[in-house]
Amino acid sequence: MNTNTTPRQTRWGRSRLFGGGSIALVAVSVGIGAVLSSGIGGLFATFGNPTKPWLAFAVVAIVTLPVSAALAWVILVDRTTITGATRNPDDSIENIWFERAALGAFGDLMIVLGLGAAAFAVFGLDIAPALLLSALFVLASADFAVRYLRISKAEG
Amino acid sequence: MRNVLPDRRQLRGWSQQRLADELGVSRQTVISLEKGRFDPSLPLAFRLAATFDCTIEDLFFPDEED
Repeated sequence: MNTNTTPRQTRWGRSRLFGGGSIALVAVSVGIGAVLSSGIGGLFATFGNPTKPWLAFAVVAIVTLPVSAALAWVILVDRTTITGATRNPDDSIENIWFERAALGAFGDLMIVLGLGAAAFAVFGLDIAPALLLSALFVLASADFAVRYLRISKAEG
Repeated sequence: MRNVLPDRRQLRGWSQQRLADELGVSRQTVISLEKGRFDPSLPLAFRLAATFDCTIEDLFFPDEED
């Protein structure tokens, strides 16, 4: 049962929606990212009450551009056209490692949320929601990354 | 679970990367399979059997304690 139909693979891949090459995909991704970032910058400048709205708009738009462009690329790219992509990633051991790391990180996050909620209730802590959510996001991401590395090192 | 994947692969003169390409998985997956650290999914086990023209039971054996 050989299902060898690997398409030509490149570092940035090709779009699954409009074809073309890597350059077209990256250009469209950056374009969509710029639109998204401008929208986020506009929202912040409008509702964030900054002292210098245009400066705030520019800073937020520039800072969020890489993430927005990357998100657009992830949505648009045909993963089978990326260098090194396998045809059956679900059957690869990396998928097992991913699931185990994600499961462990989820369990840790539940513990942190539970203990944190108790601490907030008992001590009446007052922390800005944006800061708190950012910290939780960083914690969960780091937890997942460390777990994945540990599993892959132990079993790889 | 024990297996005879290294023997079967070497009989064909294939590298681990070649077998990984045939199966559509990563080379690390083949390494872990051969070392017995990773039990394959049923679809992957069937693809292995088909690749080596045999049955799953010809490739994989339960450990004594299983």
